[in-house]
Amino acid sequence: MSSPGRRGGRAGLLILAVIFGMAMAARWISPMPPDLQEDVAGGRFLPPLTRAHLLPVGQHRTWLVTSMRRIEGGWEVTRGGAAATVQDSELSGAPEARFYLLGTDGLGRDMASRLLHGARHSFGIAFICVALASVVGAGVGAASALSGGWPDALMMRGVDAVASVPRLLVFFVCAALTNPSTVLLVLVLSATTWMRLARLVRAEVMAIKHSDLALAALAAGCSRLRLAMRHLLPAAGPVIAVTATLRLADTVLLESAISFLGLGSPSPSVSLGEIMSAGREGLWGATSASWVIVWPGLLIGIVVAALRSATSGLLAAAEPPPV
Amino acid sequence: MITYAARRLLSCLPLLWIILTLVFLLVEAVPGDPFSLEPGPAVSRGSAAAMNEAFGTGRSFGIRYVEWLGRFVRGDLGVSYSLRRPVLGLVAESAWNTCRLASLALVLQFVVGLAAGLAAVARRGSWVDRAIVAASSFLYAIPSYWLALVLIWIFSVRLGWLPASQMSSLEAASWGGPERFFDAARHLLLPCLSMTLPAAAGLTLYVRETLADVMTRGFIRTARSRGAGDGRILVRHGLSGAMLPLLNLLGMALPGLVGGSAVIEVVHAWPGMGRLAYQSVLAHDQPLILGCVWAAAMLVLAGSLLADLTSAMLDPRVRESTG
Repeated sequence: MSSPGRRGGRAGLLILAVIFGMAMAARWISPMPPDLQEDVAGGRFLPPLTRAHLLPVGQHRTWLVTSMRRIEGGWEVTRGGAAATVQDSELSGAPEARFYLLGTDGLGRDMASRLLHGARHSFGIAFICVALASVVGAGVGAASALSGGWPDALMMRGVDAVASVPRLLVFFVCAALTNPSTVLLVLVLSATTWMRLARLVRAEVMAIKHSDLALAALAAGCSRLRLAMRHLLPAAGPVIAVTATLRLADTVLLESAISFLGLGSPSPSVSLGEIMSAGREGLWGATSASWVIVWPGLLIGIVVAALRSATSGLLAAAEPPPV
Repeated sequence: MITYAARRLLSCLPLLWIILTLVFLLVEAVPGDPFSLEPGPAVSRGSAAAMNEAFGTGRSFGIRYVEWLGRFVRGDLGVSYSLRRPVLGLVAESAWNTCRLASLALVLQFVVGLAAGLAAVARRGSWVDRAIVAASSFLYAIPSYWLALVLIWIFSVRLGWLPASQMSSLEAASWGGPERFFDAARHLLLPCLSMTLPAAAGLTLYVRETLADVMTRGFIRTARSRGAGDGRILVRHGLSGAMLPLLNLLGMALPGLVGGSAVIEVVHAWPGMGRLAYQSVLAHDQPLILGCVWAAAMLVLAGSLLADLTSAMLDPRVRESTG
């Protein structure tokens, strides 16, 4: 019999696998390039599930129309909510079908494609940051626990000091002193993520550093580095896994907030926060296009919730089953 | 108790010093002086030097470090480059606005979180419990600024009931007292909601977990065997057992509110500290952002101090063990 924690954990892992898989495959499965603007005026804020036609008009222009009706010598079309006519002589090719599953944004770009690429970027950055932070956190934690004495005290005081300032503010300072870039984002996010992990790993290593396991390894002539790498850190594995998963959820949220504020990766890259910030203007217009902000936020919410339930699944799996 | 408080207060000082030193080193690590960017063709080298002299950026490393510490201890945070006003005044003004918003959100989140958590535990396993858990897991997972945008879309754009931004209406200055108060309250509602709900959701989940754990203890069984009613057991015995970790959490929530409110303040154009910090980032305004960080660090220290002192007051074990 599986406990609710385990079942939730398995569901969370499944959702994560599907979403991360789709995000990583964004380049191949996204219907269009994420920054393709085929017709800004005609494709602006089309609602989800819109079927449209792309008409090549004249030499270099294309019109995106949501309805076409045959009339004498041409077509009567709806473009950007207004009626217009196109003569057959103006058309320079056959119309192409377009389908916008999740609608379009204010520049007529396909939301589904942008969402896929944004997810790839945002989740990818969060993943890299947490991976870096886990290595640093585990290293500092283990070193601190093994050295003991004043180096330990100094390291943990430093950890407290860095951990006490809100992460967004730390990023603000760094962004104010330099310029926003992906490198800065990754550096600051990793640099502000490793502390709690270091504390937990330290506690874990402290607990077993005088155990028979460690003594036996030392008696067998094992070096301190080897002791840490082969014997102590693997014992802290579950703690690292659980903390890293939780931190991944936090980091996804923080990265999206930073890119929402326009301080994340600069323009050509698409991130979920940036999609939402660009969608703000759409809320107010006559279209009241809520979908541009709704999809990315929902996606983040689902991923964060799935990460958290995967964590509780991990915890449930690490616990011995009740007898 | 007083010795414990004094001891705890003193232990903040090294932390404060480490934070200030780290921030100083961060500023120093940036190449160039702040005015090497500013002069365009119209500003001569000489006036850049004069600016350096006026803002004291041209002196040697050691002197600047000592001066830096001295100034912060005295509360002199310099002059903002972009707004040309003393940083302390700017920070104090916006900190007051943030406090109004954050303190209300803090109280609300505690009340709502506690009530929902208690309701979930009281009806554990029923549909009430499941609905509360589902709603809080969702609200806790979404980005808070996304919630803010969705609330704006519903209440300001679609329904037109509440103002989306600012602290008061433009013409509010000419109104009488009660009307002004009503206007301010209406402006406060949306930002407050978008700050309260996610935090309250997190608290609800936490209260539910902690209380469920407490309810399995022996003293609860004892109370029940004495014939105490369900409600009394839950509040009198269960809640008081879970109060300590909760208060700790609340103290820790203070910096989170300041950091987390930044994006909400930007979305709702609330002239608080988070928005000030954000504007100083956009303007590359070093003294201003450092002033904001300094104020935030103070709040963090105050929060953890408050949490420690209240738990020492409530639980003699805490002051015995460390005091």
